[in-house]
Amino acid sequence: MKQFKILFSIAMLFLAISSAGAQDVTTVTMWYPDGSSAECRADIIAEGFNAIDPAVHLDIVLQANTWDATRVAVVGGGGPDIVRTPGPSFVYEMASSGLILPLDSFADEMGWRDTFFPWALDLGLVDGELYSLSDELETLIMYYNKTLFAANGWTPPETMDELIALAEEIEAAGVTVFSHGNADWRPTNEWFVGEFMTQIAGPHNVYKALTGQIPWTDESMVEAMETLDMMMERGWFGGGVDFYVTNTFDTNLAALGSGEAAMNIEGTWRFGNINDFFGEAADNDNEWDWVSVPSKTGEDLFTIGMGNTSSINASSAHPQEAAQVLTYYFSPEVQAELLAACGKGPAPVHLAEDAMTDIDPRIARAYADLSAANADDRYGYTTWTFWPPRSDVYIYEEIERVWYDEITVMEYLEGLDELFAEELAAGDIPPIPAR
Amino acid sequence: MSAVGKISLRGGLLPRRGARERSRLLVFNHAVLILLTAFAVMPLLVLAFNSVKTNAEIGLNPLGPPTQVIAENYASAWERGDFATTMGNSVVYVVATIAAELVLGGLAAYALARRKPPGSDMLMLYFLVASTVPVWMYIVPLFVQFRAWGLLNTMHGLVIVYVAMNAPLTIFLLRSYMIDLPGELEDAARVDGANEFQVFTRIVLPLSKPGFLTVGLVVGLGVWNEFFLALTFIHDPSMFPITTSFYKFTDRFSRDWALTSAGAIIVIFPIVALFLALQRQFIEGLAEGGVKT
Amino acid sequence: MALLANKRPATFAERLSDPGWRNRCLRNVIVPWLFILPLLLIHVVVVAVPAVQGVYMSLTDWTGFREANFIGLENYRVLFFEDEAFAEGIRNNLSWMSFFLTVPFILALFCSSVLAQIKRFGMVYRSLLFIPYVLASVVTATIWRNLLSPRKGIGAALADIGIAGLDIPWLGRQETALMSIAFIDNWHFWGFLMILFLAAMQAIPPALYDAAKIDGANRWQEWRHVTLPGIRPIVLFMFMMVAIWSFLAWDYIWILTQGGPAGSSDVIATHLYRNAFLRSLSGYGAAQGVVISIFAGFIIMIFVMLRRRGWDI
Repeated sequence: MKQFKILFSIAMLFLAISSAGAQDVTTVTMWYPDGSSAECRADIIAEGFNAIDPAVHLDIVLQANTWDATRVAVVGGGGPDIVRTPGPSFVYEMASSGLILPLDSFADEMGWRDTFFPWALDLGLVDGELYSLSDELETLIMYYNKTLFAANGWTPPETMDELIALAEEIEAAGVTVFSHGNADWRPTNEWFVGEFMTQIAGPHNVYKALTGQIPWTDESMVEAMETLDMMMERGWFGGGVDFYVTNTFDTNLAALGSGEAAMNIEGTWRFGNINDFFGEAADNDNEWDWVSVPSKTGEDLFTIGMGNTSSINASSAHPQEAAQVLTYYFSPEVQAELLAACGKGPAPVHLAEDAMTDIDPRIARAYADLSAANADDRYGYTTWTFWPPRSDVYIYEEIERVWYDEITVMEYLEGLDELFAEELAAGDIPPIPAR
Repeated sequence: MSAVGKISLRGGLLPRRGARERSRLLVFNHAVLILLTAFAVMPLLVLAFNSVKTNAEIGLNPLGPPTQVIAENYASAWERGDFATTMGNSVVYVVATIAAELVLGGLAAYALARRKPPGSDMLMLYFLVASTVPVWMYIVPLFVQFRAWGLLNTMHGLVIVYVAMNAPLTIFLLRSYMIDLPGELEDAARVDGANEFQVFTRIVLPLSKPGFLTVGLVVGLGVWNEFFLALTFIHDPSMFPITTSFYKFTDRFSRDWALTSAGAIIVIFPIVALFLALQRQFIEGLAEGGVKT
Repeated sequence: MALLANKRPATFAERLSDPGWRNRCLRNVIVPWLFILPLLLIHVVVVAVPAVQGVYMSLTDWTGFREANFIGLENYRVLFFEDEAFAEGIRNNLSWMSFFLTVPFILALFCSSVLAQIKRFGMVYRSLLFIPYVLASVVTATIWRNLLSPRKGIGAALADIGIAGLDIPWLGRQETALMSIAFIDNWHFWGFLMILFLAAMQAIPPALYDAAKIDGANRWQEWRHVTLPGIRPIVLFMFMMVAIWSFLAWDYIWILTQGGPAGSSDVIATHLYRNAFLRSLSGYGAAQGVVISIFAGFIIMIFVMLRRRGWDI
């Protein structure tokens, strides 16, 4: 008993010490996902901002599992001043519940309409009002082991037909075609569903389906999903579906780097650590490169995605100061610095001409090509940015039933169509920029 | 207590357990235990191996011993994971939760096991039913309450949550240890003028020491490894628990497994040390009782 | 109380003025409840009150964000009559439960009984056998994901030395995924049961063993008639708790397969999490939470009935 009392009083003492502390200046809080490059980002953002104005202090909290914590906090009437969500569909829910503030006046006042690409700003609209700013522009590309390709005399394919022909060749050489797998992140499935829809059915058909003009059971969608299913069936994705679902990102990338696998369709987020698996760091002599994911027509198409969004909490005591932080954070200079120093995917803002000079040319080329694709109507859609939440979950979970031959492609698309129609009718749809 | 002594006392009355049978059994027991121990330890060995590899090597060779030992993984993990802060915090959470849980749970379990006031059965039913409710069902209302009471972002607030969530298991486990204690000692103490609290601290508490140790261990481990509630109720990094350190090595679609493994070893180390310390207590209890062969 | 039975029932006022009654009441009712009250109060505030609000949410169309509209039992209707995946989830929970009510208990009973007889290295074994329980689920799950990998795991290593057949994607086949996860969770879990049983065995008065020896009991009889009755309360209690926890199973499944492949390892709690946090259907998720409690309630009822029959649980 005595021991308990002592332990308890020690504990209480700790608690008393830890709860002390107070501040005078206006503090703006922002919760930021923790991770390998998080410190690098937080230092640039917070130190840079706090050097400008001594009256406003930005406090960045690096936090694992940010989104679950954020939504519980914001719904519970608390949370940080700057609210970050994983995508527009959650912004819609928060905006229509009055949990975040409309940003139009800030956008006018602080020049956001000039900083951002117009289509990117439109992604933050809910019922015509601006509620969020998109961050971390991303797209899917096809990485390949350049050294392996050269040794075998393979050339990167441009069309879907070329890709299929090449895959057969790679398979015959005893190499895994794509080092794909979803064991770490089940929604990996949706990367391929969305990508094949855009590359095979074409972005214009996807746009029509997203706006309810054609059903998801359209012939072009069926063809896209049949092609994906065929590739999975033939074992091109990491050796067959039951292997695919047990492959982790580490083993996938190690296989690509070592030449056990030839290609990998992945996001531009992979720029952050792909070098760990090639060359000296991985004890091999291989090099990587990328091409755009082959399309049916051979046109270079890029799907657009957003890693996350930023808004201002309706319960924030300092919305004006929070908007200042957003202005600073989304400024082209800071975004360029974050890209160069920490490998962060830039926000969809007009970066300066020379922003890309200091970074790996392969990475610079990706962002340049993506911008160009946006400008001349060669962009497509990623599912996590443009589909409503329930359809999105359906897309990545139910596709496994197709791959495990429980349902047909047609049944999969019918299910998607039904669910999507419900969400479309309820208005739970992220904004789709007109094309 | 030697077996020989016992046997000679019993003389010819009982069938002798032969020395050969005894040693055969001993060999069998050890063989089984070694097999099970290998099963328990082998994956940890893999973890230890991975903690000193490079990430590329983990990708290619996730099981075997490292080709070269990268001991710096530990230094980097310690620093990048900010373990100096988070480990201290977790110690506070664990100690405070265990202390509060054992004191409050011990009192409650004593009342339920030895005093059985009217309503005990209903109360136990209440705790049972409550332990079936998944936390996601009530996390938002709980957050709202805590915010209203100013318990968000405080260490004692989180400790209160832990104490409450561990209450049913604590009460039931302690009660099951206390229920079979012989009542004579308590009665004797009462006759000697001890009040209920003294009966609890002087008689019941020492007798159910293994139970308290076990519950303390279980509750402490639960708190040490807890993550979701901590992140929901604590938003200040200076109060984050040790589990958050793991996520310093994780990005959206990648994880630094070398550092995560090193971090995992850092996290288990104090717990293993603590367990060994507690084990000594178990052994002492065993010696005092002089139980079994 | 037996004394009072012969008299006419005393009125409350009379009882109150009887110092003996007041004293008994204080000793047998008030003081014990004062002992219980602090923890009960904390628990009610942290769990019960918010949980009741959660139950109310199951009767609404709450998205997790917006104002909730009352929709009666609609969520439950959809759950039981339209959601086929949910029925599969319940079946998986039952398989999970039958695994966890057998495998870890057999292992733990066997091992604790063996350990209780061993003096040399006893502490070493105990510590090593218990260590898996100290690992956080995310660490355990990931080590085992690598160990079970068809290409780089144990199966592949065995295949290399000629023992084929184990290099299959255990977590990737619909027939094996759920049980593989249960196997992994059990690797972590059973040492905990063993420690509980061991602690209970230590509390058995040594005199009982001596008596058994004098009666000429062999080892099996000794175990059957002394050890087992001695640890029966904790075994039965853990039987009930594990049955209840089986319906709450979540973390290992979510980390390892997120319910896949193709829903084959989905349980009620993974549906709940998905609905509440990913699909913006928190009201519907709350209904699934209530269903978990109802199933666990059945388990509790069984044990309450056993208790009524005089079992010590």
